[in-house]
Amino acid sequence: MTDHPSTESERLDEELVAYLDGELDGEAARRMEHRLASEETVRRRLQQLAQSWDLLDQLPRTTVDDSFTRSTVEIVALAAEEELGEKAGAEPRRRRLRWFLTAVAAVGACWIGFVAVTHLRPNPNEELLRDLPVIENQEVLKEAGDIEFLRKLDKEGLFPEESGDAP
Amino acid sequence: MAVSESSTQNPALRDPDVRLMLEVREDNAAAFEELMLRYQNRLISLLEHVVGRRELAEDLTQDVFLRVYRARKRYEPGAKFSTWLFTIANNVAANALRSQSRRHEVNLAQRGTNSSTSVPTLEQLAQAASGFMPARQFEKAEMSDVIRQAIATLNERQRMAVLLSKFESMSYEEIAETMQMSTQAIKSLLSRARGNLREILEPYLERGELKELGARGDGGTIEDEE
Repeated sequence: MTDHPSTESERLDEELVAYLDGELDGEAARRMEHRLASEETVRRRLQQLAQSWDLLDQLPRTTVDDSFTRSTVEIVALAAEEELGEKAGAEPRRRRLRWFLTAVAAVGACWIGFVAVTHLRPNPNEELLRDLPVIENQEVLKEAGDIEFLRKLDKEGLFPEESGDAP
Repeated sequence: MAVSESSTQNPALRDPDVRLMLEVREDNAAAFEELMLRYQNRLISLLEHVVGRRELAEDLTQDVFLRVYRARKRYEPGAKFSTWLFTIANNVAANALRSQSRRHEVNLAQRGTNSSTSVPTLEQLAQAASGFMPARQFEKAEMSDVIRQAIATLNERQRMAVLLSKFESMSYEEIAETMQMSTQAIKSLLSRARGNLREILEPYLERGELKELGARGDGGTIEDEE
């Protein structure tokens, strides 16, 4: 169904109804009043719309008694009880969840601390491991007598790479 | 939001029903009951004409209040409280009518009468009024039925817009917010609806029956006697 008036008659009705309802702005209301003053058919149309609208005052209005009010209150009270029940059931679940999250956080903190300590604290054995090849061959290396001589030999690639021994 | 916030900072707080709903948000049961008492008749009246059945309207009204209660913690005062409330009502009614149409249970003409006929069309009602009905004075109850049937010929959105305008005196902007449509769309919707109503009821007006009813009627509310 289109909501826009498609004929001149429908457009007139729309303006007349809006005029009756006080929904026309100042300029539009003045234009309508001018038409009403000068056109009999428009006046008649307005009168018909107004009278048929006034008839709706005859539509019965319902009143309810206390039993309806009580019944509604009961329905809402039941909903309130259900709400409370859900909240009460949710509280132990929330406590258990809080405990679980706290435990997870504690374990996580321990793990992070372990990793941090492991990586940040210097390993006293690291230096020894690095120097292990020298330590193992110190008797041979002592025979060289001169560290510069050993460096020259290393530059020439005469010392093979130790593999598989690295920590 | 604290209830003590100045209404100059938030104009919505000028609405006493908004202040009540803020109390409901703080789990004030008395405030909730007060809102119920203020709105239950209005909701049922509107919904009964929208969905066509009193019993269903009562169920839907209770559904609306239940939704209000469940949404209370998320409530933020915007405009009027009634706009928010009737937005919920509109959604609830739309869902109910969709379910009804899926179950093929719509029969608005059975409401309030012993008739088992289906909903008359606009043309049928206009034709009935124009000359095929005996020329006699209508009793008020009969005309109420004619008017109800006239409302029933409107589509769901037209009915809701008409009833929000007539029963709740909502502006086009408020109706648009309630029905989640544009103001222009509401303007067109109401125009078509009222044009349809005019077409149905005009013959009765021309015959003078409704004019007399309008003159002698109390024009006020009528208690629905079951």
